[in-house]
Amino acid sequence: MTGFLAQRLLQYILTLIAGSFAVFVATEFSPGTVSSKILGPYAVQSQVDSLSARLRLDDPLIERYGRWLTTLAGLTDNPMAAKEVGLGLSDPRGTRYVGNLGFSLMLKEPVIDVLADRIGYTILLTVCSIALIVPIAFGIGVWCGLKAGSLLDRVLSTLMAVLTALPEFAFAVGLTLVFVIWLGWLPGTSMMLPGDKWGMVSQLVMPTAVLVVASATYVARIVRASVVETRKRPFVRAAELKGLPPRVVVVQHVLRNALIAPVTVILLQVNWLLTGVVVVESIFAYPGVGSLLLQAALFGDIYLVQALTLMALTVAVGTQFLGDLCYMALDPRIRVA
Amino acid sequence: MKTPAPHPYLPTLVGQLQRQELDRREFLRTATLLGMTAAAAGVLAGLPAPAQAQAAKPRGGTLRINTTVYDVKSPPTATSTAHPLIYSQVVEYLARTGADGVTRPHLLQGWQPSADLKSWTLRIRPGVKWHSGRAFVASDVVWNLTRLLSDEVGSSVLGLMEPYLLNKIDTGQVNDKGRKIFRHEWWSPRAIEVVDTMTVRLNLKAPQLAVPEHLGHFPAVMLFPEERGVFGPGSIGTGAFKLTEIQPGRRAVIEAVRGYWGEGPWLDRIEFIDVGGAETAIANALVSKQVDGAFQVLPDSFAILRNQAHLKFYEAVTSDTAVARMNVRNKPFDDARVRKAFRLAADSQKVAELTLGSFASAAEHHHVAPVHPEYARLPAFNRDVEQAKRLLAQAGYPNGVDVEIVIQQNPPLHLRHATALQSLWKDAGIRASIKTVPNPQYWDIWMTAPLGITVWAHRSLGVMNLSLAYRSGVAWNESGYANPAFDKLLDEAEAMPDPKVRSSKMAEIQRLMQEDGPIVQTYWRKLFTFYDRRVIGFEMHPEYSVYCNQLALSAA
Amino acid sequence: MLRGVGERPLAATGATILLLWACIALAAPWIAPYDPLALDFSGAINHAPSAKHWLGTDSLGRDLLSRIIFGARTLFAVVPLAVGSAFVVGIALGAIAAYSGGLIDQVVSRASDVMLAFPALIIYVILLTSLGPSLINIVIAVTLAYAPGVGRLARGQVLAIKELDYVKAAQARGDHPLSIIVFEILPNARGPLVVDLSLRAGYTVILTGTLGFLGLGLPPPTPDWGAMVVENTQLLSSHWHMAVVPCLAIVSVVVACNFLADGLRD
Repeated sequence: MTGFLAQRLLQYILTLIAGSFAVFVATEFSPGTVSSKILGPYAVQSQVDSLSARLRLDDPLIERYGRWLTTLAGLTDNPMAAKEVGLGLSDPRGTRYVGNLGFSLMLKEPVIDVLADRIGYTILLTVCSIALIVPIAFGIGVWCGLKAGSLLDRVLSTLMAVLTALPEFAFAVGLTLVFVIWLGWLPGTSMMLPGDKWGMVSQLVMPTAVLVVASATYVARIVRASVVETRKRPFVRAAELKGLPPRVVVVQHVLRNALIAPVTVILLQVNWLLTGVVVVESIFAYPGVGSLLLQAALFGDIYLVQALTLMALTVAVGTQFLGDLCYMALDPRIRVA
Repeated sequence: MKTPAPHPYLPTLVGQLQRQELDRREFLRTATLLGMTAAAAGVLAGLPAPAQAQAAKPRGGTLRINTTVYDVKSPPTATSTAHPLIYSQVVEYLARTGADGVTRPHLLQGWQPSADLKSWTLRIRPGVKWHSGRAFVASDVVWNLTRLLSDEVGSSVLGLMEPYLLNKIDTGQVNDKGRKIFRHEWWSPRAIEVVDTMTVRLNLKAPQLAVPEHLGHFPAVMLFPEERGVFGPGSIGTGAFKLTEIQPGRRAVIEAVRGYWGEGPWLDRIEFIDVGGAETAIANALVSKQVDGAFQVLPDSFAILRNQAHLKFYEAVTSDTAVARMNVRNKPFDDARVRKAFRLAADSQKVAELTLGSFASAAEHHHVAPVHPEYARLPAFNRDVEQAKRLLAQAGYPNGVDVEIVIQQNPPLHLRHATALQSLWKDAGIRASIKTVPNPQYWDIWMTAPLGITVWAHRSLGVMNLSLAYRSGVAWNESGYANPAFDKLLDEAEAMPDPKVRSSKMAEIQRLMQEDGPIVQTYWRKLFTFYDRRVIGFEMHPEYSVYCNQLALSAA
Repeated sequence: MLRGVGERPLAATGATILLLWACIALAAPWIAPYDPLALDFSGAINHAPSAKHWLGTDSLGRDLLSRIIFGARTLFAVVPLAVGSAFVVGIALGAIAAYSGGLIDQVVSRASDVMLAFPALIIYVILLTSLGPSLINIVIAVTLAYAPGVGRLARGQVLAIKELDYVKAAQARGDHPLSIIVFEILPNARGPLVVDLSLRAGYTVILTGTLGFLGLGLPPPTPDWGAMVVENTQLLSSHWHMAVVPCLAIVSVVVACNFLADGLRD
C-alpha cells in the first residue's frame, strides 16, 4: 500500500511541475509584460523598462520558471515585494515562506489571500450542488433503468437528453428572466456579501439550479445505461432464476454492480464543479474560483493563473485517486496497481 | 494679504456677455477659469442663485453603489475615470469641474492668473483640516504637486502639465532596449513657490488657460505627506469619508468622518460593490435592489431598467467618445489622403445610431464637442463615397485597401461600432477585418496597432483632449500624429482667454483635423445610470465623478 | 455501422437532424434571404418578425434567419475540423503508444495523464487568451483538450486487438507496422471511437457557444449561434425569439449528436 501511495505522490508532483511549466510556456505568448500590467497602461516606457530590469524579466524562460518554483518552495524571496522595487506590495507572511505563490498583478494582493477568499465559496457551491445531483441523478437513473422501455422512461430520457444539450448560459439567462425580472422571487446576482437584503440561501438557488440541471441530467443517463447493462449480465439472470425476491436482486446484485461506473462520473462532476464553472459564476457574479480564472486569464495575471492551475491539477489528481480507491473498495476484483 | 487684482480680461468678457456676443455658459466657464467666483459670475450672467446646497437632508444610512473596485495603493497613477470613485471621497482635489462644466475651487479658495496667463496665484481655503487635525497648508500643495510631476511616481498629470511646467532632458543614456532615457525637472527654480502658508504661486513656461481644470484631473488628489504616498485603508485625507476596507475585485467600504469642512456627509457609510465583468449582472443587481446605484449603465440594459418602478434615470450629455484611430507610422495611414478617405466613407449619423441608438449624437472627426465652450460650428461633413475612392486611387490604392481594426471586447458596443464602420467602408473599397482582444490586452497595443478603437473620456475643454492626444510627441499620442502647424494652432488656442477668438482658432484646428487628422470619430456619448429613487443629491457627471458627501437616503 | 443506423430509430433521428443541418449549411448561400453580414441602415431596426424579415433583425439590422442559416455553416466548418483534428492526433498517439509499447508508451501515457488532469475550460481560457481567438487557435485548443482522452480510448482498443490472431498473422507476414495499424487494427477498433466522436461533436457545439459567451469565440462578424444567444440576451424580455431561436438550433444539433451516439452504442 505504501508503495502505491508513494508512486501516486510522485506522479502528483510530476504532474504539478509539468502542468505549471506548460502554463508558463502558454502565457509567454500573451501580449504585454508583467511590468506593464502592474504599472498600468499609461505608465511611461522608461518606468516599464526599469521595472522589467529589476524583476529580471528578460531572463530566459527556464530561469524565470525556476525562480517561481524556488519562491514557491520557500527557498528564495519574492522579487516583487522587495523594497527597492517600490511597488508597495506587502505580504503579512513575509517574503520567503513555503507556499509563496507571489502577488496577483491584477489585484496587487498576495495570491494566497485572493484564493483563500474564493475557494470557500466554490466549495460551498460544490457541496450544495452535489447534495442535489446525487439523489436526483441516481433516483431518476435507477428508476428509468429498472423500468427501461416504459413510457415514463422514454419521456424522462428524452427530457434528460434535451436538457443536457441546453447550454448553461442559456438556461441561466432564462432562469434570470423568469425569477428575477418577471417574478422578483430571487436575487439577480449572487455576490454573497454581508448586508445584502437577500440571504445567502436565496443567492445560492439559481447557480445551484443551473449546475444541478447541467450535471444531473448527464449523470442520470450514465446511471440508467449502467443499470440497464447490468441487468442483462448473467449473474443477475442467475439470481433471478434462483428465485430470489426482486428487491434483493435489485439492491444486492444490480445496484451494487451498476453503481461502480457512475461513481467515477460523480467524481468527475466534483472535479468540474470545483474548477470549471466559469459560465455560471460569471453570469451570477458568484465569487468563486472559476470567474477569477477567467478574469485573471483575460488580464494576463500569470501568477494567479499559475496558482489556479495548481489548484485545478490537485483537484483532478485528488478526485482520480479517490475514484481509484472507490473502485478498489467496491469491486474486489479490481486492484489498481 | 492684499486683495489680488481681477484678471484684466474679465471686463471685456462681461462686455461681450452684455452685448450677447457670448452665451452665458461660455461666459461662466471662462470667467471662473480666470478667477472670478462661480457665484459672482452666475450673478453677472443673470442666472438664478443656486439652491441653498446646505438645505437639510436626512441623516444616516448605508448606500451601496456598483463599480469596478480597483486597488487604490497609488491614486496618482490611476488609469481611468472609474478609479477615483473610491479614493476621491477620502482625498480631494484643489479644484473640481462640475457636471455643468464649470471649474470651481475646492481645496483652494480661489485663484488669480496674471494678465499673460503665465503666473497663477493659488489661495488655499481656510478651515480645511486633515483627519489628523492639522490644517491643510501650502507646503502640502507643493509636496503633492512635486510628486505628481515626478518621473518616479509616473502620474499622467505629468503628461498634462509638462508643456508649461517642466523641461524634458535627454540624460544621454540609453536603456538596454536602445531607447533614450529622459528625465523631467521643473523648468525653473521659481516654477512653484510658497508665497505664505496659505498661498502657492505657479510660474509657467508658457501661457495656459486651463490650469484650474488640470488641477482637477482625476489622479491629482492631495495626499497626506506624512504617509509618504502610500494610500490604503485608514489613510488620512481631507475628505468627508475614510476608507475602512478594500478588497479589489470585490468591494470597498468608506465611512463618514466628523468635522468635514464642506457639505455633509449625510450618510453613515457607503459600500462599493464589484459584480465582476458581466454587464447583465449590473442590471440584475439593480433590479434585485442589491445595489442602490451604479457607476454606469450601458444602453443594452436600458430597456430592462427603465421599467423598474424603484429606479430613477440620470443622464449627461458629454464629450465621451470612441475614436477609430489611424496610426500614421503605418501604411496606408501615412498618407493624409487615405485618412480623409476613411472619414469620407463613414457616415457619423448612421454609425452613432447603430452603436448607441438614442444615447449618442453624431460627431465630426475632430474631437471637439458641442458641449465644449470653444466648439466652432463647421459646415456639415457628409459622406462621399466617390470622393473617398478617388482619394484612395490618388494615393496609390485604386483597388482599395485591406486593414484590420482592433477593438476591446467589452462593452459590446465596440463591436457594433466596428461592424457599422466595416459595412460602410466596404462601399469605398476599404476592406476591414475586425479583431477583438480582451480589454487589458488592448492597452498593450494601443500605441502601435495601425487601426484601433480607443475610448476617450470626457474633458471639459476641447483643447484638453487635443493636447493629450494629437500634440506631437506627448505620452498619449496613440496615432503618432505630428503636425507642427497643428501644434502651433493649439498653442495659440490654449493661450487665449477670449472664447470667441479661441473659437475661430478652433475652427481652423477642427478643419485641419477633418482634412489631415488621424481619426475617424463618429459619435459623442450620452452617459447614463440608474439610482434608487430614495437617493437624494445625485447628479450624473460627464466624467463619472460622484460627490458622496452630498448624497443622502430618504426614509421611504 | 450504417446498417446499425438504419435499424435504430434513435440513431436514425439523430442522423437525420444532422443531415438536415448539413444540407442547410451547404445550401446557405442559395436559401438564405439576405447576406448575413449586411447591416440594414434603412432606419428602424425591427426585432419583431415581419414579412420582410421572417425572424426579425438583430441590433445591427442583420436578418436573423439568414444568420441562423449561415450559422449552421460556421458550425459545420468549426466542429468537424476541431473534432476531426483531435481524433486524428489522439488516435495516432494512442495507437502508436499501444503498438510500440515500452518507453514510447510510458512517455505518451504520462504526458496524456498530465493533459487530462487539466480541466478543459482552463485549457481553452488560457490558450485563447494568450494566442487570441481564431479558427486555428480554437482547433488547436480543442485538439489539446480532446486528444489525450481519445488517445487513451484508442490505446485501450489497440492493446486489446493487437493480440488477436489476424494481427499476429500480419506481423508474421512482415507487413509494415504502420499498415498493420491502419488496415488491420483501427477498422476493428471503430465502435467505441465512433460513439465517442458523436458525443464529443455534440459537446463541441456547446463549447463554441460557451466560448462565444466568454468572448473567446470566432472573430466577429461571423454568424455564430452561441454569440447570437449572447448578443440578444438583453432582448429576452421584449423579443425573446432573438435569443431562443439560436439556442434551439444549438440544442437540436447537440441532441442529434447524442441520439446518434446512443443509437450506435446500444
